Amino acid sequence: MRTPTDLMADIGEVLLDEDRIQARIRELGAQISADYAGRRITLVSVLKGSLPFMADLMRSITLPLRIDLMEVSSYGGATTESSGLVRILKDLSTSIEGEEVLICEDIIDTGLTLNYLIRYLKGKRPTSLRICTLLDKPARRLVEIPVDYTGFTIPDQFVVGYGLDYDELYRNLRFVGVLKPEVYAAPE
Amino acid sequence: MTADASTKAPELDVPTAAPVFAHASEAEMARILDFYAVRWEYEPRTFPILWNLDGAVVESFSPDFYLPELDLYLEMTTLKQRLVRKKNRKLRRLRGLYPDIRIKLFYARDFRAIMLKYGRLALADSLSGTLGQVPSERLQADAPLPLPITPPAPVVRPATGEPRRRRPRTAQEAYVDR
Repeated sequence: MRTPTDLMADIGEVLLDEDRIQARIRELGAQISADYAGRRITLVSVLKGSLPFMADLMRSITLPLRIDLMEVSSYGGATTESSGLVRILKDLSTSIEGEEVLICEDIIDTGLTLNYLIRYLKGKRPTSLRICTLLDKPARRLVEIPVDYTGFTIPDQFVVGYGLDYDELYRNLRFVGVLKPEVYAAPE
Repeated sequence: MTADASTKAPELDVPTAAPVFAHASEAEMARILDFYAVRWEYEPRTFPILWNLDGAVVESFSPDFYLPELDLYLEMTTLKQRLVRKKNRKLRRLRGLYPDIRIKLFYARDFRAIMLKYGRLALADSLSGTLGQVPSERLQADAPLPLPITPPAPVVRPATGEPRRRRPRTAQEAYVDR
């Protein structure tokens, strides 16, 4: 595996800088606070990519809220080879039955993972189940999913940073950037 | 509820009999759909898109996948972008004749992008630019890569109703795009 010595050097373009991300998250937080006024919500973060987003979003929401974390295996990952089926690697730690649930995603592209998660979480009988994503990449959507809150609609580029990774790296960047193609085309 | 590591996915009801695929990218897509518990049918329906003056079908289009839960057809191509004009034309015609059909064309760049996301870029690169239909090299969805060549086998086509279609109104229209 290639380990970059300078993460910034692998970024071809900063798509969303930190200020822009934080400003939009504050807007989303205000909107969510207004929409759910008088109610308690449960934010569900889909690990690992949405962790920074949820950490900032929850602090922009003025309502009482709970948080929980989920992680599902990704196609092609080390955990997929045995069964060939998606697996819940980390389930919710508390019941969401009767709760107002807001799923926090880092990015939606094909919608396959989220489609699965929605089906899974609906089985836990929440009062409501809504979607909030920082990034939406509709160009490659396979499963049409109604997204209730969208931070940014982005073009069809491979992005990293602010939780998004390539080969588990770049998550700690404070912005969203486009990875240089030569990074993922580099020989092993 | 307590944390339950590595819980097996519920509600999974994926196809058990793997059809034969015309291209390795289709087999890979089938594996992805299976992984995320999305039901699919392989080439379940053929849409006539061009007729001659006698009313005989002279051109048709069989989308690679139908996803019944999403009511969506999916056509894949690994041809380079400049070579997909013919497929784009067929798709436009299909959409014109069957306006109720929802279909998405998955280009080589789309396939490459999801393979990048899933860490399987080498596979995408190995398939990019290859012909989309290779009947003599039909591939099975559950075969390990590199996929072996298997003898041709009939594709199971579920008995579904004839799709609603709009016939050409004029002889000129019937020959358009030939």
